[in-house]
This record gives sequence, C-alpha cells and structure tokens, in this order.
Amino acid sequence: MEQENLTSRAYIGDMDPELLDFLNRYVDSFVKWDLLRFFHNNPHTIDTVDNIARYAGRNQETVQQELADLAMRGLLEETHMGSMVVYALAANPAIREQLARFIDASDDRQFRVRAIYHVIKGSY
Amino acid sequence: MLVQATERVSTGVPGLDTMLHGGFLPRTANLIEGAPGCGKTTLGMQYINHGALHDEPGLILTFEQFPEQYYRDAEAFGWDFRELERRGLLRVIMSSPEVTRADLERFNGRIASLVGRMGAKRVLVDSLSQFERISRDPVELRNLIHGFLNALKREGLTALLTREAYVLLGDEEDDESEASMGFLVDSYTLLRYVEIESSIQRAIIVLKMRGSAHDTHIRQFDISRGGVAIHEPFRGREGILSGSPQQMAESFIKAFVRR
Repeated sequence: MEQENLTSRAYIGDMDPELLDFLNRYVDSFVKWDLLRFFHNNPHTIDTVDNIARYAGRNQETVQQELADLAMRGLLEETHMGSMVVYALAANPAIREQLARFIDASDDRQFRVRAIYHVIKGSY
Repeated sequence: MLVQATERVSTGVPGLDTMLHGGFLPRTANLIEGAPGCGKTTLGMQYINHGALHDEPGLILTFEQFPEQYYRDAEAFGWDFRELERRGLLRVIMSSPEVTRADLERFNGRIASLVGRMGAKRVLVDSLSQFERISRDPVELRNLIHGFLNALKREGLTALLTREAYVLLGDEEDDESEASMGFLVDSYTLLRYVEIESSIQRAIIVLKMRGSAHDTHIRQFDISRGGVAIHEPFRGREGILSGSPQQMAESFIKAFVRR
C-alpha cells in the first residue's frame, strides 16, 4: 500500500495542479481522452453519437456513454433536436482554454506517461 | 432582357467574377460541381478566405473532411484559417446534413446564433453530395435540399455548395439528381477534366445564373500557389465537356467528309 502511494506520488506529485484537476474532472478513460483530443482539433463539431463514433473510429456504445458523461461534467453540451441527441464542445472559453492546455501538455512524453498512469490507476 | 443587379459578392477567384459578370448575387445558392480533385473545395476555401479578409466573415460546413484538413490545405495556399478563426472571421463546423438541417430548422439554433454573433455573410457547404445519403426518394431529397438552401438564404448567407461528379472525364449519364439540383440553385458551375493532346487540363463553365447574364465560354483554369485562377477560353476545340475535345477541323472532317 505504502509502495503504491510512493509510486503514485512519484508520478503525480509534481504535476501542474490545474492539469491534475482537469485529469481528475474529465479524463477517466482513454476513450474520453481520444474524444477530448477530437473536440480540441475540431472545436466546432456538432453531431450525433453515431457520427462522432465514426469520426473517432470507435465503437458507438462506448462513445455514447463517454459523451453523455462528458456532457454531465460540463465539458460538452448536449442538445436534443427532435429525435436526435447531438454533442458539441462547451462554448465556455475557460473550459476550452483548460482543454487546450491539457492537449498541449499531452504532447510532452513525461506528462503523457504520468497522465496514463493516472487514468489506469483511476480505472481500477 | 435581363436586369443586371448591381450588388455582387466577389468570389476572390481571378477570372471567375468576370465570368459571373461581377460575382455571385447576394443571398443566393451557388453550386460548383466537378470530379474528385478538380478544385471544388479549393475554390470554396478561396471564396471564404476572400470574404473573411474583406469584412465578410464566413462559415465552412463540412460533411466529409475534418476541419484539421481545411486548416492544413488552406495553409498550403497561404490562407491562415486558424488565425481567421481566432479573429472571429471564420468557423469550420463539422457536422452531418441531418444535424445541420435540424439545427437550421430550430428557432435560434447553433448555426443561426453563430451567424448572428459573427456577422457571417458567406458559407461553404462541402459537400451537398452528402445529402443524397439521407433519402433515395428524389422528391423528398429535392424538398430537403430546397428547405436547407432557403434556411441559408434566410440567415443572409451567400452560399457556395460543392457537389461531386462521379466520373473523372466528361459528362455523367442520366444523373437525375444533377438535373434536379440545377433547378434548386441560383447558379450552376461545372468543373471538368479534359484530355488535350495526351495531357489533362481543367475546364470551367457557368451553365446557369438566375437573374444575371454570365460568360458562356468554356475556360481553362489551374490551381497554383495562390489558389484557383481562370484563364482564356479553349479555342479551336469542341466537345470540351465530353472530356475528350477535338480540333474544330477534325470535327468538320468527321461531320462532312465521306470516308
């Protein structure tokens, strides 16, 4: 147990608190991570689950759950249009800024390794 | 006699405004149709870039390509779409025809709100061909596209719409939707590959322009570092739209000289 805490501290200890907070709030799976990158790269996407799943090259059922979850946490906006449910990145500039910081940070290998460890640990 | 409208929307494509007698008419739907890779999207991006730099912000509604691809392709022509987005002069919206249509039908939907906030005047719809997968019934499809085009006009947008032609050279055979599309739009321009003396060249013709006279010549165009540029008409050849034009003299001999 103590060994695990030490490892955890070694990985997460000196992570930027804002990025750690972002990880804790929004990124608890690799599919979510993928979706966040997708929305960052294509920030004005408005579409249904099946289309977003297709764009992301992922399974529809998995994506549906993750999109709904991200909408519940405020990172995405969920809109009902007749029989369709569509998702778009939240318009809030602060959230978009945090997302941009996270994606930029993910380009750094050291950060990525730490973040991956965090996601894996969180999914136990 | 046609009454010439004075207000025009400049395309920013050298030579095209001359063909259109000044540019598109405001709040109209303008279709550019052509084979894959012949320059429809480049021409559309050029139209949007020109507007954004001349106080006419624009949207790109993409149903096929990822926005990242537009940013990258535009950069190759020296058009900085990311910077235009940062300045609020452009939005590249990725969606599907179903969602876009539903959104435009809502009161104050996302796209309508965005148009209002940005003061958008232009839109590139890339591509209208994607609507064809919503319905196989030509009447339903026609109504659907008609409603969509009217919604764009209602928002005050001058639209440039691309549509894929499925043959590389020459005309498509018995394309019902092509004929139907021609009725729905205000102007209809064809881009074609043509084979001349063993090399492939590009040809453009304005087939229709509602409410305005237009150039009826088939002209050559090319795509270079600055984008699409239109040149002189093809001279001394006929059958350009068939994809394999002949010298006038050859046609004359074929037509009149007995073998």
